[in-house]
Amino acid sequence: MHLEPSMKQAVIRRTVRKFAETRLAPVAVEMDRTGLFPWDIAQEMADLNYFGLEIPAQYGGAGLETISYAIVIEEISRVNAAMGLCVAVHNGVSASPVYVFGTEKQRERFLVPLATGKKIGTFCLTEPNAGSDASSLETSAIRDGDNYILNGNKVFVTNGGISGINLVFAGIQTGEKGKKFSVCIVESEREGLEKGPTEELMGMRGNPVCPIVLHDCRIPLENLLGEEGEGLKIALTTLNGGRIGIAAQALGIAQGSLDVSLKYAKERNQFGKSISEFGAIQDFLADMATRIEAARLLIYRASDLKDKGINHVRESAMAKVYASEVAVDATRMGVQIHGGYGYTKAYPIERFYRDAKVCEIYEGTSEIQRMVIAKSLLNE
Amino acid sequence: MNIVVFVKQVPDVPNIRIDEQRMTIIREGVESIINPLDCVALQASLELREREGGCITVISMGPPQSEEALREALAAGADQAILLTDSAFAGADTLATSHVLAMAVSKLQPFPDLLLCGMQTIDSDTGHVGPQIAEELDLPQVCGVNEIHMDGHLLVLKRLSEGFLDTIRVPLPALLTVSKDLCPVKNLSLGAVEAAFSQKDIIRWAAHDLGLQPDEVGLKGSATHVRKLRPPADRTGGRIVTGSPQFIVDALIHKLESMSILDEEDGNE
Ligand SMILES: Cc1cc2nc3c(=O)[nH]c(=O)nc-3n(C[C@H](O)[C@H](O)[C@H](O)COP(=O)(O)OP(=O)(O)OC[C@H]3O[C@@H](n4cnc5c(N)ncnc54)[C@H](O)[C@@H]3O)c2cc1C
Ligand SMILES: Cc1cc2nc3c(=O)[nH]c(=O)nc-3n(C[C@H](O)[C@H](O)[C@H](O)COP(=O)(O)OP(=O)(O)OC[C@H]3O[C@@H](n4cnc5c(N)ncnc54)[C@H](O)[C@@H]3O)c2cc1C
Repeated sequence: MHLEPSMKQAVIRRTVRKFAETRLAPVAVEMDRTGLFPWDIAQEMADLNYFGLEIPAQYGGAGLETISYAIVIEEISRVNAAMGLCVAVHNGVSASPVYVFGTEKQRERFLVPLATGKKIGTFCLTEPNAGSDASSLETSAIRDGDNYILNGNKVFVTNGGISGINLVFAGIQTGEKGKKFSVCIVESEREGLEKGPTEELMGMRGNPVCPIVLHDCRIPLENLLGEEGEGLKIALTTLNGGRIGIAAQALGIAQGSLDVSLKYAKERNQFGKSISEFGAIQDFLADMATRIEAARLLIYRASDLKDKGINHVRESAMAKVYASEVAVDATRMGVQIHGGYGYTKAYPIERFYRDAKVCEIYEGTSEIQRMVIAKSLLNE
Repeated sequence: MNIVVFVKQVPDVPNIRIDEQRMTIIREGVESIINPLDCVALQASLELREREGGCITVISMGPPQSEEALREALAAGADQAILLTDSAFAGADTLATSHVLAMAVSKLQPFPDLLLCGMQTIDSDTGHVGPQIAEELDLPQVCGVNEIHMDGHLLVLKRLSEGFLDTIRVPLPALLTVSKDLCPVKNLSLGAVEAAFSQKDIIRWAAHDLGLQPDEVGLKGSATHVRKLRPPADRTGGRIVTGSPQFIVDALIHKLESMSILDEEDGNE
């Protein structure tokens, strides 16, 4: 059993940390405040393969394995969670399913622009009436000659405002009532695809999350990812991997909180001494560090199983639910360590606190993760 | 133009800890990085290769884990990497280090046109190694270079020395040590890091590959011995005097006198 990062993983972490601290940290406040996406920095990231992390080099990606992927997401999210979200969703649930389920032609047409960062990707599953229960989705696709015609409303689309390629989950109508749950690749410029206004989110405000409406949107048959009726399989496989990305993102937020809180605790004096000398503050720091380390190991465990091609449904869910709860708790403790200053925008911990919460919600709420874990235990 | 860049793996500075008993730098649990000026030298070599063509070889002497530094250099764009590693090399002073590095260069076919070093390292910080390699190989050397151009067969270099900006012309082959102002270091692409680990090989040479005898290298081949090693003292922050100009001057003179730095008799001369 190897619990040490490999030489390559150490270099990956150092490389990303340097880039994140010099390029992504300085724009984090501005992104949170204005919601504007820094295209110039995204271009730099594209040139450095951040949009094709796990995609093989032949399609323009970096060809990393999952642990390195998790390290990249963690390090970005440690200083700029909204950018971490952009990269995690783009890679984990958009580029990755196109690679895994796409035909060679689809890889050329859609994967290459995604992996090289020329197009940003989305994953459009959630609808107003289909959240945790994705099977009740209402978006429909009707076959018309060489086309499908799509109609429906997608909500909460991460990267929606900046996307070029969208994976849309829809039911292909078969006969009277029948529906085949499927995935359609819809380019943003297609007629009939409209993006709604950016959501006013509590956190992750630097990511343009918005609704996408499809109104008689025609796509050619060759834009179907996988076979008709393979939508559920694609969604579940994709989310299994995607959850590792969200877990890594939560881990990054938690680690970032610990780092800024440690620094603050050493700097702040009360009662004539550093607050880091108080037992209560030390308890916070010790709890944060311990749980962060546990979350990290769960993530590496799930990643390692994924790379070995072993079923990791339970481990991904464990990593996701645990890491996101660690992020919420660690940022709460971090604000507490900062006292009143933690409740102001003078310190990043306030943003981390807002950013952390959604990790317990998207790509399956904590309640759904626990259902998944329990089901796998009970079925054993 | 074939270029050799020497890279040394060093502990990340803010973390340097010293084992005062054994007089060594504690490396366990400390992250190691490429000496930052060596990254500058490497970046400069990439830009020269872009203009002049040729091949970049990175060479490091160090323990087996120095492979990490060499792989990082390959990720940055070096063509080949040579790790000089042998337990006999341990404990080398700057002379023994330079000797091994020079012998490795002599083994290269064809002999390189340009050798680049950092001006100094962030751990031992002597700045000896570059000049000593040049002496051993009988090459012209210029230290602290912050600009490089080619003019026909000559290198045109600039460097800052004691307040002057020197412009120096040097024939090739030559050895340069570089300063941080030479060029900014670019970020690594993640695909290049992956490829540097999965697709490239590291050449490994031990003492016998270089025709070196055990007493020429490492501790035995060293001319110096460490008597004492300590981390640099923390800088004690200064004191800022505020108030009227008269008050500040008086306070300053009073302070200097109390430290016996200003002697009244000297002052009256
Ligand atoms: C910032 C942001 C970005 C998002 N990005 C995307 C995206 O890119 N793509 C996408 O498709 N979706 C995205 N989502 C949507 C997200 O995945 C859903 O919000 C989430 O799956 C929950 O669905 P819901 O909001 O409809 O909640 P509901 O499903 O209505 O859940 C409400 C509550 O009921 C609980 N609950 C529901 N069912 C059960 C059950 N069976 N047992 C116990 N408790 C249950 C839930 O856990 C929750 O606490 C995003 C959401 C946000 C906030
Ligand atoms: C515990 C300890 C004891 C030491 N004892 C002695 C001693 O007794 N006497 C003594 O003279 N020195 C001693 N040193 C210094 C040691 O020999 C140096 O680490 C080594 O020789 C390189 O010197 P430097 O780091 O000062 O390099 P510098 O001369 O400052 O380095 C300049 C450049 O030379 C190149 N370079 C340097 N080292 C290497 C390398 N290993 N591989 C490839 N390129 C390299 C790099 O390009 C670097 O930027 C000691 C160091 C330690 C940590």
